[in-house]
Amino acid sequence: MQAAAQPTEGDDTDSLLHRCAGGDRAAFRQLYDRWGHRLYGIALRITRQAAPAADATQDAFVQIWQQAHRFDPERGSTEAWLIGIVRYRALDIMRSRTREVPGYEPPEIADESPDALARLVGTAEGAALHRCLGELEPGRRRLVVMAFVEGLSHSELARCLRVPLGTVKSGIRRTLRTLRGCLAS
Amino acid sequence: MSEHQDRDLLAAEFVLGSLEGEDRREATRLLAEDAGFARSVAAWQQRLTPLAAQVPAVAPPTGLWRAIEARIDPPAPPSRVLPLRRRLRFWQATTFGALAVAASLALLITTRHPEQRRVAVLMPVSGGMPAMTATVSRGGELVVRPATSITVPGDRDLELWELPQGETKPRPLGVLPPSGIVLATTLAGNTQLLVSLEPKGGSPTGQPTGPVLYGGWLTMVELPRG
Repeated sequence: MQAAAQPTEGDDTDSLLHRCAGGDRAAFRQLYDRWGHRLYGIALRITRQAAPAADATQDAFVQIWQQAHRFDPERGSTEAWLIGIVRYRALDIMRSRTREVPGYEPPEIADESPDALARLVGTAEGAALHRCLGELEPGRRRLVVMAFVEGLSHSELARCLRVPLGTVKSGIRRTLRTLRGCLAS
Repeated sequence: MSEHQDRDLLAAEFVLGSLEGEDRREATRLLAEDAGFARSVAAWQQRLTPLAAQVPAVAPPTGLWRAIEARIDPPAPPSRVLPLRRRLRFWQATTFGALAVAASLALLITTRHPEQRRVAVLMPVSGGMPAMTATVSRGGELVVRPATSITVPGDRDLELWELPQGETKPRPLGVLPPSGIVLATTLAGNTQLLVSLEPKGGSPTGQPTGPVLYGGWLTMVELPRG
Protein backbone atom coordinates (compact mmCIF):
# COMPACT_ATOMS: atom_id res chain seq x y z
CA MET A 1 0.00 0.00 0.00
CA GLN A 2 1.41 3.38 -0.95
CA ALA A 3 1.44 6.10 1.67
CA ALA A 4 -2.22 6.92 2.22
CA ALA A 5 -3.22 10.36 3.37
CA GLN A 6 -3.59 10.61 7.12
CA PRO A 7 -7.26 11.05 7.95
CA THR A 8 -8.03 14.43 9.47
CA GLU A 9 -11.17 16.19 10.62
CA GLY A 10 -12.97 18.50 8.19
CA ASP A 11 -11.98 16.61 5.07
CA ASP A 12 -15.41 15.24 4.23
CA THR A 13 -16.16 14.25 0.66
CA ASP A 14 -17.94 17.53 -0.10
CA SER A 15 -14.87 19.58 0.85
CA LEU A 16 -12.55 17.20 -1.03
CA LEU A 17 -14.63 17.56 -4.19
CA HIS A 18 -14.64 21.32 -3.79
CA ARG A 19 -10.86 21.29 -3.45
CA CYS A 20 -10.59 19.06 -6.54
CA ALA A 21 -12.59 21.69 -8.45
CA GLY A 22 -9.85 24.12 -7.48
CA GLY A 23 -7.14 21.85 -8.88
CA ASP A 24 -5.96 20.44 -5.53
CA ARG A 25 -4.32 17.12 -6.39
CA ALA A 26 -3.73 16.13 -2.77
CA ALA A 27 -7.49 16.36 -2.23
CA PHE A 28 -8.00 14.23 -5.34
CA ARG A 29 -5.65 11.58 -3.93
CA GLN A 30 -7.63 11.60 -0.67
CA LEU A 31 -10.85 11.26 -2.62
CA TYR A 32 -9.37 8.26 -4.44
CA ASP A 33 -8.21 6.65 -1.18
CA ARG A 34 -11.64 7.08 0.27
CA TRP A 35 -13.84 6.16 -2.71
CA GLY A 36 -11.58 3.94 -4.85
CA HIS A 37 -12.64 0.72 -3.09
CA ARG A 38 -16.32 1.50 -3.28
CA LEU A 39 -16.40 2.69 -6.87
CA TYR A 40 -14.24 -0.23 -8.05
CA GLY A 41 -16.54 -2.65 -6.17
CA ILE A 42 -19.58 -1.17 -7.93
CA ALA A 43 -17.89 -1.31 -11.34
CA LEU A 44 -16.75 -4.89 -10.71
CA ARG A 45 -20.27 -5.97 -9.85
CA ILE A 46 -21.54 -4.59 -13.16
CA THR A 47 -18.67 -5.72 -15.42
CA ARG A 48 -17.86 -8.96 -13.51
CA GLN A 49 -14.29 -8.82 -14.77
CA ALA A 50 -11.31 -6.99 -13.35
CA ALA A 51 -10.03 -5.38 -16.58
CA PRO A 52 -13.22 -3.55 -17.63
CA ALA A 53 -13.91 -2.67 -13.98
CA ALA A 54 -10.48 -1.05 -13.73
CA ASP A 55 -11.09 0.81 -17.02
CA ALA A 56 -14.46 2.07 -15.78
CA THR A 57 -13.00 3.19 -12.44
CA GLN A 58 -10.08 4.90 -14.16
CA ASP A 59 -12.37 6.76 -16.57
CA ALA A 60 -14.69 7.66 -13.71
CA PHE A 61 -11.95 9.24 -11.61
CA VAL A 62 -10.60 11.20 -14.58
CA GLN A 63 -14.15 12.44 -15.17
CA ILE A 64 -14.58 13.27 -11.47
CA TRP A 65 -11.40 15.36 -11.58
CA GLN A 66 -12.36 17.15 -14.78
CA GLN A 67 -15.98 17.77 -13.80
CA ALA A 68 -15.67 18.42 -10.06
CA HIS A 69 -16.47 22.07 -10.72
CA ARG A 70 -19.74 21.02 -12.34
CA PHE A 71 -21.01 19.15 -9.30
CA ASP A 72 -24.20 20.89 -8.18
CA PRO A 73 -25.05 20.31 -4.49
CA GLU A 74 -28.58 21.50 -5.17
CA ARG A 75 -29.25 18.46 -7.33
CA GLY A 76 -28.10 15.73 -5.01
CA SER A 77 -25.44 14.28 -2.74
CA THR A 78 -21.79 13.80 -3.63
CA GLU A 79 -22.30 10.09 -3.02
CA ALA A 80 -25.04 9.82 -5.66
CA TRP A 81 -22.93 11.89 -8.08
CA LEU A 82 -19.75 9.82 -7.66
CA ILE A 83 -21.57 6.49 -7.82
CA GLY A 84 -23.57 7.68 -10.85
CA ILE A 85 -20.38 8.47 -12.77
CA VAL A 86 -18.81 5.04 -12.27
CA ARG A 87 -22.08 3.19 -12.93
CA TYR A 88 -22.75 4.92 -16.26
CA ARG A 89 -19.16 4.33 -17.34
CA ALA A 90 -19.35 0.62 -16.43
CA LEU A 91 -22.73 0.33 -18.17
CA ASP A 92 -21.33 2.06 -21.28
CA ILE A 93 -18.54 -0.49 -21.42
CA MET A 94 -20.93 -3.41 -20.95
CA ARG A 95 -23.50 -2.18 -23.47
CA SER A 96 -20.93 -1.68 -26.21
CA ARG A 97 -19.47 -5.09 -25.41
CA THR A 98 -22.87 -6.76 -25.79
CA ARG A 99 -23.19 -5.22 -29.23
CA GLU A 100 -19.70 -6.22 -30.32
CA VAL A 101 -19.78 -9.78 -29.03
CA PRO A 102 -22.92 -11.50 -30.33
CA GLY A 103 -22.30 -14.63 -28.26
CA TYR A 104 -22.10 -12.73 -24.97
CA GLU A 105 -24.24 -14.35 -22.30
CA PRO A 106 -24.83 -12.77 -18.90
CA PRO A 107 -23.87 -15.04 -16.00
CA GLU A 108 -26.47 -16.61 -13.73
CA ILE A 109 -27.47 -14.26 -10.95
CA ALA A 110 -28.21 -15.23 -7.37
CA ASP A 111 -31.39 -13.90 -5.77
CA GLU A 112 -31.02 -10.77 -3.72
CA SER A 113 -31.24 -11.63 -0.04
CA PRO A 114 -33.45 -9.74 2.41
CA ASP A 115 -30.30 -9.19 4.51
CA ALA A 116 -28.73 -7.23 1.69
CA LEU A 117 -31.76 -4.99 1.36
CA ALA A 118 -31.83 -4.43 5.14
CA ARG A 119 -28.60 -2.49 4.61
CA LEU A 120 -30.64 0.26 2.97
CA VAL A 121 -32.14 1.56 6.20
CA GLY A 122 -28.91 3.32 7.25
CA THR A 123 -30.02 6.65 5.73
CA ALA A 124 -33.37 8.47 5.53
CA GLU A 125 -33.41 8.08 1.75
CA GLY A 126 -32.47 4.41 2.01
CA ALA A 127 -35.19 3.82 4.59
CA ALA A 128 -37.81 5.31 2.26
CA LEU A 129 -36.58 3.16 -0.63
CA HIS A 130 -36.56 0.09 1.61
CA ARG A 131 -40.16 0.72 2.65
CA CYS A 132 -41.30 1.23 -0.95
CA LEU A 133 -39.40 -1.81 -2.27
CA GLY A 134 -41.01 -3.82 0.53
CA GLU A 135 -44.46 -2.90 -0.80
CA LEU A 136 -43.63 -4.33 -4.23
CA GLU A 137 -44.43 -7.85 -5.31
CA PRO A 138 -41.14 -9.88 -4.91
CA GLY A 139 -40.73 -10.52 -8.65
CA ARG A 140 -41.00 -6.80 -9.39
CA ARG A 141 -38.58 -5.91 -6.60
CA ARG A 142 -36.10 -8.37 -8.01
CA LEU A 143 -36.25 -6.75 -11.46
CA VAL A 144 -35.34 -3.35 -10.07
CA VAL A 145 -32.58 -4.59 -7.77
CA MET A 146 -31.00 -6.81 -10.44
CA ALA A 147 -31.04 -4.03 -13.00
CA PHE A 148 -29.48 -1.44 -10.68
CA VAL A 149 -26.98 -3.59 -8.81
CA GLU A 150 -25.94 -6.11 -11.48
CA GLY A 151 -26.27 -3.66 -14.36
CA LEU A 152 -28.43 -5.99 -16.47
CA SER A 153 -30.17 -4.62 -19.57
CA HIS A 154 -33.78 -5.33 -20.49
CA SER A 155 -32.78 -8.19 -22.80
CA GLU A 156 -30.29 -9.66 -20.30
CA LEU A 157 -33.00 -9.61 -17.63
CA ALA A 158 -35.40 -11.32 -20.03
CA ARG A 159 -32.83 -14.06 -20.71
CA CYS A 160 -31.90 -14.50 -17.03
CA LEU A 161 -35.48 -14.64 -15.84
CA ARG A 162 -36.71 -16.54 -18.93
CA VAL A 163 -39.57 -14.15 -19.62
CA PRO A 164 -40.43 -12.26 -22.83
CA LEU A 165 -38.62 -8.95 -23.41
CA GLY A 166 -41.93 -7.04 -23.55
CA THR A 167 -42.86 -8.36 -20.11
CA VAL A 168 -39.57 -7.13 -18.64
CA LYS A 169 -39.95 -3.68 -20.22
CA SER A 170 -43.54 -3.15 -19.10
CA GLY A 171 -42.80 -4.66 -15.67
CA ILE A 172 -39.91 -2.26 -15.07
CA ARG A 173 -41.89 0.77 -16.19
CA ARG A 174 -44.84 -0.15 -14.01
CA THR A 175 -42.56 -0.82 -11.04
CA LEU A 176 -40.74 2.51 -11.42
CA ARG A 177 -44.08 4.30 -11.65
CA THR A 178 -45.21 2.60 -8.42
CA LEU A 179 -41.91 3.49 -6.74
CA ARG A 180 -42.20 7.11 -7.83
CA GLY A 181 -45.65 7.35 -6.27
CA CYS A 182 -44.56 5.63 -3.06
CA LEU A 183 -41.38 7.71 -2.65
CA ALA A 184 -43.33 10.93 -3.15
CA SER A 185 -45.82 10.02 -0.40
CA MET B 1 -40.84 8.54 -28.79
CA SER B 2 -44.53 7.78 -28.15
CA GLU B 3 -43.43 4.99 -25.87
CA HIS B 4 -41.66 7.58 -23.70
CA GLN B 5 -44.25 10.27 -23.32
CA ASP B 6 -43.39 10.14 -19.64
CA ARG B 7 -39.86 11.52 -19.73
CA ASP B 8 -39.42 11.25 -16.00
CA LEU B 9 -39.94 7.51 -16.34
CA LEU B 10 -37.34 7.37 -19.12
CA ALA B 11 -34.96 9.16 -16.72
CA ALA B 12 -35.75 6.53 -14.08
CA GLU B 13 -34.94 3.72 -16.53
CA PHE B 14 -31.73 5.45 -17.52
CA VAL B 15 -30.62 5.64 -13.87
CA LEU B 16 -31.70 2.05 -13.27
CA GLY B 17 -29.37 1.17 -16.15
CA SER B 18 -31.58 -1.30 -17.98
CA LEU B 19 -32.05 0.74 -21.17
CA GLU B 20 -30.28 -0.41 -24.31
CA GLY B 21 -30.10 0.38 -28.01
CA GLU B 22 -32.10 3.32 -29.35
CA ASP B 23 -33.78 4.09 -26.00
CA ARG B 24 -30.44 4.40 -24.25
CA ARG B 25 -29.03 6.64 -27.01
CA GLU B 26 -32.13 8.81 -26.80
CA ALA B 27 -31.79 9.15 -23.01
CA THR B 28 -28.08 9.99 -23.30
CA ARG B 29 -28.89 12.67 -25.87
CA LEU B 30 -31.63 14.17 -23.68
CA LEU B 31 -29.31 14.19 -20.67
CA ALA B 32 -26.90 16.44 -22.56
CA GLU B 33 -29.52 18.69 -24.19
CA ASP B 34 -32.54 18.91 -21.94
CA ALA B 35 -32.14 20.54 -18.51
CA GLY B 36 -35.48 19.18 -17.31
CA PHE B 37 -34.45 15.64 -18.18
CA ALA B 38 -31.08 16.13 -16.46
CA ARG B 39 -32.93 17.23 -13.30
CA SER B 40 -35.11 14.11 -13.47
CA VAL B 41 -31.98 11.95 -13.79
CA ALA B 42 -30.37 13.65 -10.77
CA ALA B 43 -33.52 13.14 -8.69
CA TRP B 44 -33.75 9.45 -9.58
CA GLN B 45 -30.05 9.04 -8.91
CA GLN B 46 -30.68 10.41 -5.42
CA ARG B 47 -33.63 8.03 -4.90
CA LEU B 48 -32.02 4.82 -6.19
CA THR B 49 -28.36 5.21 -5.11
CA PRO B 50 -29.03 3.65 -1.65
CA LEU B 51 -29.27 0.33 -3.56
CA ALA B 52 -25.52 0.57 -4.17
CA ALA B 53 -24.92 0.21 -0.42
CA GLN B 54 -25.22 -3.56 -0.68
CA VAL B 55 -22.33 -3.86 -3.15
CA PRO B 56 -19.15 -4.71 -1.25
CA ALA B 57 -16.12 -2.46 -1.68
CA VAL B 58 -13.18 -4.15 -3.41
CA ALA B 59 -9.56 -3.01 -3.42
CA PRO B 60 -8.77 -1.69 -6.91
CA PRO B 61 -5.75 -3.17 -8.72
CA THR B 62 -2.42 -1.64 -7.75
CA GLY B 63 -1.32 0.77 -10.43
CA LEU B 64 -4.81 2.17 -10.99
CA TRP B 65 -3.96 5.39 -9.15
CA ARG B 66 -0.84 5.86 -11.25
CA ALA B 67 -2.86 5.36 -14.45
CA ILE B 68 -5.38 7.97 -13.30
CA GLU B 69 -2.65 10.38 -12.27
CA ALA B 70 -0.99 10.05 -15.68
CA ARG B 71 -4.23 11.07 -17.37
CA ILE B 72 -4.89 14.18 -15.30
CA ASP B 73 -1.54 15.81 -16.09
CA PRO B 74 -1.00 18.76 -16.19
CA PRO B 75 -2.69 20.06 -13.04
CA ALA B 76 -5.98 21.83 -13.66
CA PRO B 77 -5.99 25.64 -13.46
CA PRO B 78 -7.03 26.81 -9.99
CA SER B 79 -9.50 29.29 -11.48
CA ARG B 80 -12.01 26.45 -11.72
CA VAL B 81 -12.96 26.92 -8.10
CA LEU B 82 -14.75 30.18 -8.87
CA PRO B 83 -17.88 28.90 -10.62
CA LEU B 84 -18.64 26.46 -7.77
CA ARG B 85 -18.16 29.12 -5.10
CA ARG B 86 -20.37 31.50 -7.01
CA ARG B 87 -23.01 28.85 -7.47
CA LEU B 88 -22.86 27.95 -3.77
CA ARG B 89 -23.30 31.60 -2.82
CA PHE B 90 -26.19 31.92 -5.22
CA TRP B 91 -27.74 28.76 -3.90
CA GLN B 92 -27.41 29.86 -0.31
CA ALA B 93 -28.82 33.28 -1.13
CA THR B 94 -32.00 32.19 -2.82
CA THR B 95 -35.13 31.75 -0.77
CA PHE B 96 -35.60 28.27 -2.12
CA GLY B 97 -32.05 27.40 -1.12
CA ALA B 98 -32.57 28.80 2.36
CA LEU B 99 -35.75 26.76 2.76
CA ALA B 100 -33.98 23.63 1.55
CA VAL B 101 -31.15 24.19 4.02
CA ALA B 102 -33.64 24.74 6.84
CA ALA B 103 -35.53 21.59 5.86
CA SER B 104 -32.38 19.47 5.73
CA LEU B 105 -31.19 20.82 9.07
CA ALA B 106 -34.57 19.99 10.60
CA LEU B 107 -34.25 16.48 9.20
CA LEU B 108 -30.75 16.16 10.62
CA ILE B 109 -31.89 17.22 14.07
CA THR B 110 -34.87 14.88 14.15
CA THR B 111 -33.12 11.86 12.64
CA ARG B 112 -29.65 12.10 14.16
CA HIS B 113 -28.68 13.56 17.49
CA PRO B 114 -25.64 15.71 16.62
CA GLU B 115 -23.71 14.74 19.75
CA GLN B 116 -24.11 11.02 19.18
CA ARG B 117 -21.50 9.08 17.25
CA ARG B 118 -20.93 5.42 16.50
CA VAL B 119 -17.52 4.38 17.70
CA ALA B 120 -15.61 1.12 18.10
CA VAL B 121 -12.44 0.32 19.96
CA LEU B 122 -10.58 -2.47 18.17
CA MET B 123 -8.81 -4.74 20.65
CA PRO B 124 -6.24 -7.40 19.80
CA VAL B 125 -8.04 -10.76 19.88
CA SER B 126 -5.00 -12.16 21.68
CA GLY B 127 -5.53 -9.61 24.48
CA GLY B 128 -3.72 -6.38 25.31
CA MET B 129 -4.17 -2.66 24.82
CA PRO B 130 -6.54 -1.10 22.22
CA ALA B 131 -5.00 -1.16 18.75
CA MET B 132 -7.30 1.09 16.74
CA THR B 133 -10.35 3.29 17.08
CA ALA B 134 -13.12 3.57 14.53
CA THR B 135 -15.60 6.45 14.34
CA VAL B 136 -18.48 7.08 11.99
CA SER B 137 -18.18 10.75 11.05
CA ARG B 138 -21.13 13.11 10.89
CA GLY B 139 -21.12 12.65 7.13
CA GLY B 140 -21.44 8.89 7.58
CA GLU B 141 -17.85 8.04 6.71
CA LEU B 142 -15.90 5.46 8.68
CA VAL B 143 -12.66 6.86 10.14
CA VAL B 144 -10.20 4.25 11.44
CA ARG B 145 -7.11 5.44 13.29
CA PRO B 146 -4.31 3.54 15.01
CA ALA B 147 -4.23 3.85 18.80
CA THR B 148 -0.73 2.44 18.92
CA SER B 149 2.10 1.88 16.49
CA ILE B 150 1.29 -1.08 14.23
CA THR B 151 3.81 -2.82 12.01
CA VAL B 152 2.86 -5.13 9.17
CA PRO B 153 5.29 -7.46 7.33
CA GLY B 154 6.25 -6.06 3.90
CA ASP B 155 4.48 -8.83 2.01
CA ARG B 156 1.24 -8.48 3.96
CA ASP B 157 -1.62 -5.99 4.28
CA LEU B 158 -4.21 -5.44 6.96
CA GLU B 159 -7.78 -5.75 5.76
CA LEU B 160 -10.86 -4.30 7.44
CA TRP B 161 -14.11 -6.29 7.64
CA GLU B 162 -17.64 -5.72 8.80
CA LEU B 163 -19.54 -8.56 10.51
CA PRO B 164 -23.16 -7.56 11.24
CA GLN B 165 -24.89 -9.24 14.16
CA GLY B 166 -26.47 -12.55 13.18
CA GLU B 167 -24.35 -12.92 10.05
CA THR B 168 -21.57 -15.46 9.68
CA LYS B 169 -19.63 -14.12 6.71
CA PRO B 170 -17.74 -10.83 7.10
CA ARG B 171 -18.01 -8.24 4.33
CA PRO B 172 -14.74 -6.75 3.09
CA LEU B 173 -14.39 -2.98 3.63
CA GLY B 174 -10.95 -2.67 2.12
CA VAL B 175 -7.23 -2.79 2.74
CA LEU B 176 -6.28 -0.83 5.84
CA PRO B 177 -2.97 1.04 5.91
CA PRO B 178 -1.40 0.96 9.41
CA SER B 179 -1.66 4.78 9.37
CA GLY B 180 -5.45 4.55 9.29
CA ILE B 181 -8.08 5.24 6.66
CA VAL B 182 -11.30 7.11 5.93
CA LEU B 183 -13.82 5.03 3.99
CA ALA B 184 -17.12 5.94 2.42
CA THR B 185 -19.26 2.96 3.29
CA THR B 186 -22.68 2.04 4.63
CA LEU B 187 -22.50 -0.10 7.73
CA ALA B 188 -25.19 -2.35 9.16
CA GLY B 189 -27.06 -1.09 12.23
CA ASN B 190 -25.46 -3.46 14.68
CA THR B 191 -22.09 -4.65 13.57
CA GLN B 192 -18.57 -5.46 14.62
CA LEU B 193 -15.42 -4.46 12.80
CA LEU B 194 -12.60 -6.95 12.31
CA VAL B 195 -9.04 -6.58 11.02
CA SER B 196 -7.24 -9.55 9.52
CA LEU B 197 -3.73 -10.09 8.17
CA GLU B 198 -3.87 -10.78 4.43
CA PRO B 199 -1.60 -11.14 1.41
CA LYS B 200 -0.52 -7.87 -0.22
CA GLY B 201 -3.53 -6.14 -1.81
CA GLY B 202 -6.07 -7.86 0.40
CA SER B 203 -7.78 -11.24 0.58
CA PRO B 204 -8.03 -12.82 -2.87
CA THR B 205 -11.20 -14.72 -1.89
CA GLY B 206 -13.44 -11.99 -0.44
CA GLN B 207 -13.25 -13.70 2.96
CA PRO B 208 -10.49 -13.47 5.58
CA THR B 209 -7.68 -15.90 4.72
CA GLY B 210 -5.25 -14.88 7.48
CA PRO B 211 -5.65 -14.55 11.24
CA VAL B 212 -8.09 -11.98 12.64
CA LEU B 213 -5.90 -9.63 14.70
CA TYR B 214 -8.28 -6.98 16.06
CA GLY B 215 -12.00 -6.64 16.58
CA GLY B 216 -14.66 -4.52 18.28
CA TRP B 217 -18.38 -3.65 18.18
CA LEU B 218 -19.59 -0.31 16.89
CA THR B 219 -21.70 1.30 19.60
CA MET B 220 -23.49 4.63 19.93
CA VAL B 221 -21.86 7.00 22.40
CA GLU B 222 -22.60 10.56 23.49
CA LEU B 223 -19.70 12.84 22.67
CA PRO B 224 -19.08 16.01 24.66
CA ARG B 225 -19.90 19.25 22.86
CA GLY B 226 -17.22 21.06 20.95
